[in-house]
Amino acid sequence: MSIPGLGNISAQQASLPSTRTLTLHPFSEWRFQISPTSTATCRLLSGTAERDGTELAQTKTYNLTRCRSKIVTFTGATLEITGEFESEHVKHYPHSADSPFVAYLNLHFLLQARRSQSSSGSGHGPRVMICGPPASGKSSLAKMLIGWATRQGEQPVLATVDPRDGMLALPGTLSAAVFATVMDVEDPEGGVGVGCTPSSGPSAVPVKLPVGYYFGRERVEDDEGLWKDLVRRLGSSVRAKTGGDQGVRRGGVVVDTPAVEVRKGEVKVKGEDGEEERERGERVEGLMHVIREFAINIVIVLGSPDLEAELRRRDRKTPLGEPIEIVNLDKPDGVVEQDRQHLLSSRKALIKDYFFGDSKRALSPSVQSFSFDDVVIFRAVDAMDLDDPNQVLERAEISEEMSHWTLAVMDASVNDPLETVRQAPVIGWVCVSDVDKDRRRLKILSTVSGRLTRPMVWGRWPEPYVNLLG
Amino acid sequence: MEDHGDEVAADFREALQDLTTNARFEIVTLTNIARENADHGLAISEALTNHIKEAPASKTLPALYVLDSIVKNVPTPYALYFGPKLYQIFMGSYTKVDNATRRKMDEMLKTWKEPVAGSISKKPVFPLELVRPIENALLAARNAYMEQAKFQTHLMRGRPAGPPARDTPTPPMGRAYQPPPPPHGQPPYQGPPNGQYPPPGEQAYPMRSGNTPNGVPNRATPPQPAPSAGPYAHYQPPPNQGPYGVPPASGINIDKLKDDIQQLIELDRAGFAQNMHDASKQNRLKALLDLQKVVQSQNLPQEQLMIISDQVAKLAVNMRAAQAQLPPSYPPALPPPYNTHTPTPPVVTQQFAPPPVAAAAPPPSVLPQLPAVLAAALGRPASNVAPVPLAAAPPPVRPATTAGGAAPGTLSLDAILGQGALAALLAAKKPATPQQSSTAPVPPPAIIPPALAALRSPPQRAAPFQPPPVAQQQPPAAAANPLTQNPSALLAMLRQSGLLGGTPGVPTPPSAIPSLPPPDPNIITLTPASLKFPRLHLLPYLLDHLGPPCSQCGRRFPTTEEGRKKKTQHMDWHFRVHQRVAEAEQRGQHRSQFVSELDWIQSHEEPDVDYNAPSGGGGSGDGDGSESDDNDWSAAVKGGRRKKNEKKKRWITAPDEGDGTGTGTNKVCPICQEKFQSRYLEEVQDWVWMDAVVVGSGQGRRVFHGTCWDEVNTGGGGGGQGQGTMVMLGNSNNKRKMKEEEEGGGGGGGGG
Repeated sequence: MSIPGLGNISAQQASLPSTRTLTLHPFSEWRFQISPTSTATCRLLSGTAERDGTELAQTKTYNLTRCRSKIVTFTGATLEITGEFESEHVKHYPHSADSPFVAYLNLHFLLQARRSQSSSGSGHGPRVMICGPPASGKSSLAKMLIGWATRQGEQPVLATVDPRDGMLALPGTLSAAVFATVMDVEDPEGGVGVGCTPSSGPSAVPVKLPVGYYFGRERVEDDEGLWKDLVRRLGSSVRAKTGGDQGVRRGGVVVDTPAVEVRKGEVKVKGEDGEEERERGERVEGLMHVIREFAINIVIVLGSPDLEAELRRRDRKTPLGEPIEIVNLDKPDGVVEQDRQHLLSSRKALIKDYFFGDSKRALSPSVQSFSFDDVVIFRAVDAMDLDDPNQVLERAEISEEMSHWTLAVMDASVNDPLETVRQAPVIGWVCVSDVDKDRRRLKILSTVSGRLTRPMVWGRWPEPYVNLLG
Repeated sequence: MEDHGDEVAADFREALQDLTTNARFEIVTLTNIARENADHGLAISEALTNHIKEAPASKTLPALYVLDSIVKNVPTPYALYFGPKLYQIFMGSYTKVDNATRRKMDEMLKTWKEPVAGSISKKPVFPLELVRPIENALLAARNAYMEQAKFQTHLMRGRPAGPPARDTPTPPMGRAYQPPPPPHGQPPYQGPPNGQYPPPGEQAYPMRSGNTPNGVPNRATPPQPAPSAGPYAHYQPPPNQGPYGVPPASGINIDKLKDDIQQLIELDRAGFAQNMHDASKQNRLKALLDLQKVVQSQNLPQEQLMIISDQVAKLAVNMRAAQAQLPPSYPPALPPPYNTHTPTPPVVTQQFAPPPVAAAAPPPSVLPQLPAVLAAALGRPASNVAPVPLAAAPPPVRPATTAGGAAPGTLSLDAILGQGALAALLAAKKPATPQQSSTAPVPPPAIIPPALAALRSPPQRAAPFQPPPVAQQQPPAAAANPLTQNPSALLAMLRQSGLLGGTPGVPTPPSAIPSLPPPDPNIITLTPASLKFPRLHLLPYLLDHLGPPCSQCGRRFPTTEEGRKKKTQHMDWHFRVHQRVAEAEQRGQHRSQFVSELDWIQSHEEPDVDYNAPSGGGGSGDGDGSESDDNDWSAAVKGGRRKKNEKKKRWITAPDEGDGTGTGTNKVCPICQEKFQSRYLEEVQDWVWMDAVVVGSGQGRRVFHGTCWDEVNTGGGGGGQGQGTMVMLGNSNNKRKMKEEEEGGGGGGGGG
């Protein structure tokens, strides 16, 4: 049973608030926050401007919603903006050299130089890992580096091992994708939201194909073993990809990582939302794991000399024998500390986008009813003190508790070993909309109608989305 | 008409003479005059250029505003006329005005890079190629100044806020946040971003008649040779002028250099006579004498001479300033010393020929081997000459023996001219050769082989005394030392003795790695310092150099033949998608599932490949690479693994009988002897032959019905796989004609 038209929830607002014109000097930024319920438009009247490394087309009206982002210009620009903003202001730097973008641009040109050099050498472009404390602009920088490289005709891989991000996937997923085409400026996540993944219809902005592995937790330390396994899987997929495709090999890899904070020799993990704070000595080890699995040769630390020092202490060579270069850049000001509420609403919006599409593309998912016996749902075992170390998953008991949770559909067979299922790439998500225990039936919202023959995994994050179906 | 042009120009010139304030209406009036007399634009532009050149500092800014206004309001033809001279006009003015005015000029310069506010034209006021060299020069000057600042303050002790350079202690020079310009649509003149011209009273230096002798006592200085030409000959580059102070076509005249040094010596000697106990003066004098000896006795390369003469020029300025402090009657508020228009200034360092400001053709080069870098730095065609390394000229005399600080044993252009100067040189060279790849390694920084560690020892030890040609008042110093044979060593010595600013061991940013020579700022290294160094000249590689952007998505395409082709394809794709988006809304869509690992690994993004090319048999019919209309996985995974039992519609674009492509193509399937039917395929907006495959190439090229071909080559039922030549068709077991699968699809082409 498909429900056409449900995707049109985020309808355009009828009233058009006042139009303003902004003049940006070179290297200044227009920073804005737009709430999920309001929309705004932005139009580039003159000059050049870009969001996260992707240029705005001249005189095209871009619709923006639900984002905290910035539009930056290097040559000066005039923007025409309309709509409601939670906040917006123009950030000028007294001198363009003060802008953090100077360093970012230089970094890009350095990477371009490395890409050119790679053609004559191993063919492997730079593999960059970006790390730093919370709200240091890691994801923005990653997107910019990818956007700039794509503009220059490169085909780099963007990977995220931060389960919170959900790049081209729902949160709780580690993923990677090749970016060879323009990114979506209107996407709330800056071109890497799950809304940019393929649908059955046409897309005005070229879609991106991800490969993702479902972690199902918010923090790395919630299941460090699984995280490491998935990083390994993702890393080997990316390596296989770069190995088989010369263009991608040259383009290199940019890896975005979970926030890690180091202070005075002790390593702290701090939640992006600033709430959770725990001390764990293994966090830097986690970054080293990423460095190994992705054969990272350039490490960008944002705003944490301590973390840089900590990484340098463990400095090693890449599998290709190159030295690992580490550099610490200043953390840009103006990075918004994402509050918990905003993150929660972003997650929900992502789930909605995944099933129902966004304002540009209304999708019609289907709600189907299944017997308990028709579906195979696994759940990670809570207690790890089992006799059988391979018993990493167990069949989940279907109950009302499962309502409104999103389950990951794994690219595996129900008869596969549990470890295989656990580490299988995810091919999609479904949402349990209703559980009728008496009749032993459950209703499932899925993108495509049809039987659910694949094993599904019930993670512990992101949290259930109660109002997904209205 | 020529006469009339002269008249107009004369009138204009007179009007300019009266312009002493930034009165808006006067500027607007002048702009209107220029607009109405655009026929005589050349004459007017020359009049204005000359006025700016000759005007006293106080009148310069209003005149520049006139230029700014004219260019912004009457870009044609004035932008064209002023463009080539922009560098000289701007830099010439910049050197003579005070800091407050410079700030205004910075603002103005910034607006030149942008389109005129409120204009429909997207072009900047002046092309970036013209503005960038100026910016680079200013940047270099500022960077260099940082190093010199200490020395400056030392020398300028007691002197009022000194004009020679941008000497505010903090860098932001007039780039502090300015509120955005007023809304558009204001009166014709859109001035600099601050929107209004400051009243003249704000200027730090009230107007001073250029003719008034400034009363600098001419003590102990022999009469000077008259400046070679006009008041502009007094033009002195500001201290630490980066590349820009050097006129493009004049080499370093060694005789003049000798004269200058001689004059400095005499001046210094006079100062020394006044204050015998000032050890620093003594040292300086000795160092100068050494320098003189080196210059006279050795045949130095141009680059070295250039550096020396720069420094000498700087010294002259400073010493004159120092001298100026002496007379008690001297008024406290001084115009910039090098801006004086006294007929015979105490010291004229005129090693530079007057810059050919207005002249279209540069004067014949005095020394043809003038480094090409300099020419490039001035925005002239560099004729692809790589920067001449400074190295090799002075032989290494002795390896460094003492680690006297950072950067022992090496001395680079950076160290001499100040950090960033080389960057500016190289940066300015870029625009001249825009094709140069951003990644092409720039020649490594010129490194002069080991300067002596002894350089840092007191100069007395190192100061050999050779009687200069003039009468001596100085006791001879220590015995001759091989040091003097090394010019770079000498420079270092001068610096040590306080004559020159900028200690080589303390380059501002890259001090982290003291044992290495300062890195070439143009080569980006993975260090914070290098990454933070602005390289604005690289920006176009992300913007204009990629070609004009697509109006739909901002993606840029080069203007080459290939780029145009790609853009056409790209626009077609936009067109098709737009059409289909509307349809798809009604049809209902759903999110696709992600691909398997293997498919992801084997998928290939190729944004510019047109899969509609003939022989669509290979891929899915409506695919278009990653810009696929249907974002079906199978389309995206195209080129990768193909699923078994895949029954794809195979088609080729129908050959056109009109052109050559169609003539060689068979119109009948060789197997079933049926004609191919053309059919309009909505998805590709073109006529196609459905169920058709191309086999072979060149002369042997044949078109078959895909189904016929499969039937024959699979041995009728999947028994035998295609052999050898049939690889392109894969292992389809499909024996049915496409027609059967095409039900409702508008009628199969193959026809039974």
